[in-house]
Amino acid sequence: MNWRSEAIQVWAFVVRNLLMASRNLFFFFELLFWPIVGVVSIGFMTRFLHLTPETTSFVMIGTIALSVSQVAQLEVSYAVLLDVWSKSVKHQFMAPIGMRHMTIGSWLVGMLRGTIIFMVLAALGWWAFGFNALAAGPGAVAIFLFGCFLNAWVVGVAVCALITLYGTRAEAFAWASVNLVLVLAGIYYPVSILPAPAAAAARTIPLTYFLDAYRAHYGFASEFATPVTTGLALSAVYVVLAHAAFLLTIQRARRTGLLLKLSE
Amino acid sequence: MPSPASDALAIDARDVAKTFRSGWLRRRETPALRGVSLQVRREAIVGLLGPNGAGKTTFLSILATLVTPDAGTARVLGHDVVHDAARVRRRINMASGRPSFLWSLRVAEIIAFYGRLYGLAGKPLTRRVDALIEQFELTTHRRAQYNELSTGLKQRLALAKSLVNDPELLFLDEPTLGLDPDVSVRVRQHIRDLRRERGMTIVLTTHYMREAEELCDDIAFIKAGRILAHGTADDLKRQIGLGDVIAFRLDRAPEWLGRAPGVLRCVSADGWVECTVDEAEKRLPELLRAFYGEGVEVRGVQVREPELEEVFVELAK
Repeated sequence: MNWRSEAIQVWAFVVRNLLMASRNLFFFFELLFWPIVGVVSIGFMTRFLHLTPETTSFVMIGTIALSVSQVAQLEVSYAVLLDVWSKSVKHQFMAPIGMRHMTIGSWLVGMLRGTIIFMVLAALGWWAFGFNALAAGPGAVAIFLFGCFLNAWVVGVAVCALITLYGTRAEAFAWASVNLVLVLAGIYYPVSILPAPAAAAARTIPLTYFLDAYRAHYGFASEFATPVTTGLALSAVYVVLAHAAFLLTIQRARRTGLLLKLSE
Repeated sequence: MPSPASDALAIDARDVAKTFRSGWLRRRETPALRGVSLQVRREAIVGLLGPNGAGKTTFLSILATLVTPDAGTARVLGHDVVHDAARVRRRINMASGRPSFLWSLRVAEIIAFYGRLYGLAGKPLTRRVDALIEQFELTTHRRAQYNELSTGLKQRLALAKSLVNDPELLFLDEPTLGLDPDVSVRVRQHIRDLRRERGMTIVLTTHYMREAEELCDDIAFIKAGRILAHGTADDLKRQIGLGDVIAFRLDRAPEWLGRAPGVLRCVSADGWVECTVDEAEKRLPELLRAFYGEGVEVRGVQVREPELEEVFVELAK
């Protein structure tokens, strides 16, 4: 493996996604508008319900995690979506690159955008609702963000796989997949209140563990013995599985001719 | 193990078959290729002709590793397109007459993006992008976004992008589709230059017979997933047996002319009688002698080979 060449091919997607993001008003809405609307509306709801500062922090951590994960996940999905929208899929898939270049390059931009949105939402949460998202310290924040980004990588690659399996019909998954996480991963409530089958499903989502670990810094008892390690291990498994699924769907798309259809 | 003879080939496709299947409940099968064999020597320009839906683009896509064949083998530059696709991809590229790129990237950025996919970076990438922009006369548009470009500029950009890795084999899918005549002429000149200056092998699909005749050393005619004829334009004309056309301007057309030996058919138009004959060299003196014997005055004679378009029409029937 030629590492320089690998880095250049990953960098190609970093530059591409950054340029596209910088020239699209729609991307601006994704980056700032919806996440801010989310934090503001949830913040006011906590006031209306007269939640304690502790419970408010519980909900705000979930809201911020959801926004950060979604922004980063959408960016990973753009690894394929941008080419589907521009009907240039074939150029990418006849170049000597692997899917790792596409997904890692897009993920790096996703992490950048996710970090920006985290900083914005943290500032907004502190200013508007007195919630300090950085109170856990830099190490905990870094692990929390990395967990969100890993979750985003897995979901984003899974969306890429769905698009190369079903074509443009699967586009909606890019935005809808976050709702599954919303219900199961304990964004607004602890996983322990879920019915047993849903709680079992929640335990298969890495974000559940990273949220649990981060909330422990705000005084909430951890529901899991080693949440960070478990979250990282689960993420590693899912990253491999998602990439395997993506590889299989690309191979299938070459068989079915979908790569051609997506370029017409 | 490829033979030395096959090393001289840029493409060696044998019995390539592909059927597209769709639908979950009601399965539909669309056979696209039914055993296509084609050998293309290096540095040749080969044209794939055929009606819409004949399988040209599918065949090109298999050779470009975008689609996997169901049966048969295809070797490109000595590598199997299925089992050694990564090696093939480094050495080929493709441009389409219906280009599509990311809408808000600029001309230079699009070429640079694809350059990076082939491992170019830093000064070599900058030099390559600048050279291609200059070569395809895109200098004044280098900062224009893709969605602001005209059709002709998009096609020139597609050609520039297709050369970013300096490919040994280039696939062009209808490269002059919808272009103004003057732009088409320039694009054809670029294609000729690529072979002359870089020794590139080029396989192109086109609907323009003149383009195929002008550019291609060999032409393969595909219909319903099969190659019906393959050879030079002259070979094809001979294979189809369309004969030669002798056009006479006569004071009167004798009624026996359509039945004369070697005359396949006669048509009158605009004061000319066009006779399709099996061999003009042999039949022209015979007919002139017969006209002289009957006192028919010959005011003009033209001899021409059938157009490739006529071959196309005949084969597409």
